[in-house]
Amino acid sequence: MAKPFRSTRRGITGALEPGEARLLGALLDDVISMLEPDTAPSEDPLAALVGMSGLDAEATAPDDSAVRRLLPDAVRGDDDEALAFRRLTERSLREQKIGALRGTALLIESSPMTLNDEQARLFAQALNDVRLVLADRLSIETEEDAEHLHDIADSKDVDDVESYLALVYNFVTWLQESLVQAMLKATRLDR
Amino acid sequence: MAGMTVGFATGTDTREEVRTEEKTDLDQPWVVVVWNDPVNLMSYVSYVFQTYFGYSEAKARTLMLEVHEQGRSAVVSGSREKVEQDTVALHSYGLWATFEKAGSE
Repeated sequence: MAKPFRSTRRGITGALEPGEARLLGALLDDVISMLEPDTAPSEDPLAALVGMSGLDAEATAPDDSAVRRLLPDAVRGDDDEALAFRRLTERSLREQKIGALRGTALLIESSPMTLNDEQARLFAQALNDVRLVLADRLSIETEEDAEHLHDIADSKDVDDVESYLALVYNFVTWLQESLVQAMLKATRLDR
Repeated sequence: MAGMTVGFATGTDTREEVRTEEKTDLDQPWVVVVWNDPVNLMSYVSYVFQTYFGYSEAKARTLMLEVHEQGRSAVVSGSREKVEQDTVALHSYGLWATFEKAGSE
């Protein structure tokens, strides 16, 4: 079993078992492939010149509910406004998320890991995105749904795809909680 | 959870300003609203409020609990440009955030 993350003088340290690192690597890759845009960035030289190559005039709200949760509407109750905003910002948000997920995939190649503040932040973001996708696949919509899955904590409890996913979700949740606790401790020491 | 009453002074001031003046859209303060969801960890949401907005541990916790218990919380206010930027930043953290005119709720 992985060791919990710890805040140390050298940074935040943690260690995954090889099997856990492989599993997490596969999950990170899955989320990366979900976020990779279907269309190439705008090559309009004027757009690039004014720093707006992030524009995506074709963007629409994603069909996949998990991707929609990763890239949510920024405006509620006004689909036109939400879409206009999405076209201005979605591509760079996708790129930011992919960057965090790729960075994390590299970090977990070493064990033990020692993370600086920035790496820890990207790691926590990536774990959060993985959990959002798993939660969508597990149809976690309420706090009760989440609690219901909480009991599945051991491979003995796994007898189908859903309980396997729940086990994975609980593992990633545990890992993120341990990382965030270490980050909060480091933040407290900085102040 | 007791004794956590800090943090809403700024929000209250700006809202009153909106009510008392007839201003153009551009002048009106906007807010970023964070919505509850069953996935994001309470510790993580507090961490984001502390590190991204620079809020104290107590203020971050108050806002996080407001999201958790009331389903939503206006966590920051400002110009339209600022709240747009903050909303996207919160999306990069995976929080479920939207922006709206202050006082729309």
